[in-house]
Amino acid sequence: MSMCSKWITAAFAGALALWAQDVPFDPHSSIEIKLPPDSPVALLSTNVRDSGATPRGGAMVIDLHMALSLRNSDSRTIRGITLLVTAQEVTAGGKASVAVPSLNVAPGQAFPVRIDLRLLRPLQAGAGPLVKVSLDGVLFEGLDFYGPNRLNSRRSMTVWEMEAERDRKYFKSVLASSGPEGLQREMLNSLARQDERPHIDVRMSRGGRSVTSVGEPERMVRFAFLKMPGSPVEAIDGWAEVAGNEARTPTIQVLNRSSRPVRYVEIGWIVKDRQGHEFLAGSVPAAEGDLLLPPGQTGRVLQDTALRFSRNAGEPVPIGSMTGFVSHVEFADGRVWVPGRAALSAVMAPSPEEQRLADLYRTKGVGAVVEELRKY
Amino acid sequence: MSKHPSEANLALYAGGELSRWRRWSVERHVAECTACRDAVAQFSALREQTRAMAELPDVAWDSLAAEMRANIRLGLEAGECVAERSSPQHLGFSLRGVAACASLAMLLVVSFLIERPAPRVAEIKADEAAVIETSGSGIQVKEGGRAMMLLNARARTVEYQASGSAMGARYVDSDTGQVTINNVYVQ
Repeated sequence: MSMCSKWITAAFAGALALWAQDVPFDPHSSIEIKLPPDSPVALLSTNVRDSGATPRGGAMVIDLHMALSLRNSDSRTIRGITLLVTAQEVTAGGKASVAVPSLNVAPGQAFPVRIDLRLLRPLQAGAGPLVKVSLDGVLFEGLDFYGPNRLNSRRSMTVWEMEAERDRKYFKSVLASSGPEGLQREMLNSLARQDERPHIDVRMSRGGRSVTSVGEPERMVRFAFLKMPGSPVEAIDGWAEVAGNEARTPTIQVLNRSSRPVRYVEIGWIVKDRQGHEFLAGSVPAAEGDLLLPPGQTGRVLQDTALRFSRNAGEPVPIGSMTGFVSHVEFADGRVWVPGRAALSAVMAPSPEEQRLADLYRTKGVGAVVEELRKY
Repeated sequence: MSKHPSEANLALYAGGELSRWRRWSVERHVAECTACRDAVAQFSALREQTRAMAELPDVAWDSLAAEMRANIRLGLEAGECVAERSSPQHLGFSLRGVAACASLAMLLVVSFLIERPAPRVAEIKADEAAVIETSGSGIQVKEGGRAMMLLNARARTVEYQASGSAMGARYVDSDTGQVTINNVYVQ
């Protein structure tokens, strides 16, 4: 064989090998985006650049990076949006949502929503879209809502918006009393608090035990409760089964101290490890439609899940003690109560709006935050 | 040390599916590189898991083949009987031939149904409940050998929070400056 034909053969073999490793994947046909005909937002464009599929062992890893451009086609200003994301073929029992709170989108204005997904599925799978995206809800200025609300996004977005109003009011008052320097101090404090918050990995399973905690006996641990000034509901007793770094089936008894019936309560859940470090583990919500608490009555909030805590890629975080606090309450008429800023402690997460304003300060300085606050 | 092989090549190497030359090249790299060696070990473990799940039920191939041979023979004999009784010479093809063809066609169909490629990852085991977990890159719901993860792309700091049947991740998207709250639910 001549040198030339050897090169041609080698090039052909190389091309064949590369072709064999390529995975045919069309991101556009893998995604279906459906908005209702009377939707207050319109889809302008979908960018799926950088999406791709890679074989891994006997499975396929699909990365979908969607940049949606939506337009407010309503006559009201949009404050938040929640999209429902399902991948029925990949996870039959699983669904997801992507919410963007703290928006200020005027009628006719466009805004982006990013969805970044990774799917692991068998190499051979059925045809049709892998991921379906639909609208779960849109919150407008004045707390008006549109949407099927399958994920109870109305309540979540109302809570975020009320927290946003509370925090903007506070930062405006700081600006008025202490000027940009005072606001700058607040932003720096907020960034420092966010950086100091411990990062804990959580694994959750519904019902039963998520994993066995080797050699750790199970015990009932009682909650201590933080008093939240002005809370219409008081947590009076609570406990969870704890074994090592795993807590399950938290149960909390609550009392409605207000004069209005309550239909939903969420209790923030702080865990202290055996070294005394505190972290926000999550929250214990009342089951949907399960709680209608008349004034003066007590009820029970319980969660049939198991949570396991770890840090540094798998190092267990043994649970020492637990603290609960009322994080928000929804009355039967749909109105929502959130705690005042004075009641918040460092271990509680900042509101989405505080997170956004602090990040704006970090990237663009105090002038941008002042300008942003003036828009409201 | 040579350049790191791609993730796809490491996966193919773990499965013994690389060409001889590429296998040699990857093998040489893996012998020196701990990270790639770990990746190969993970791919091998995953492959073993998926193979275990994808195993076909036991089939008695010998008895099946014997049964099929008997069916063919029966078809041929039936054809002979019919041919002896009526002998329609004017048709231009023998019924014996038709019976043989029908038997062969049946054999082909059955063979195809038995031998068609099975999915590498089989059905989700009923006892494997869905689990949600957080990681540095997002929140993932896993069910059997399948998973869906919402990634915290372009995030500086992320707040994770479990609530009821959902796990949430909240962060500021560094591109848009918007707060994004991802939630993954388990049923």
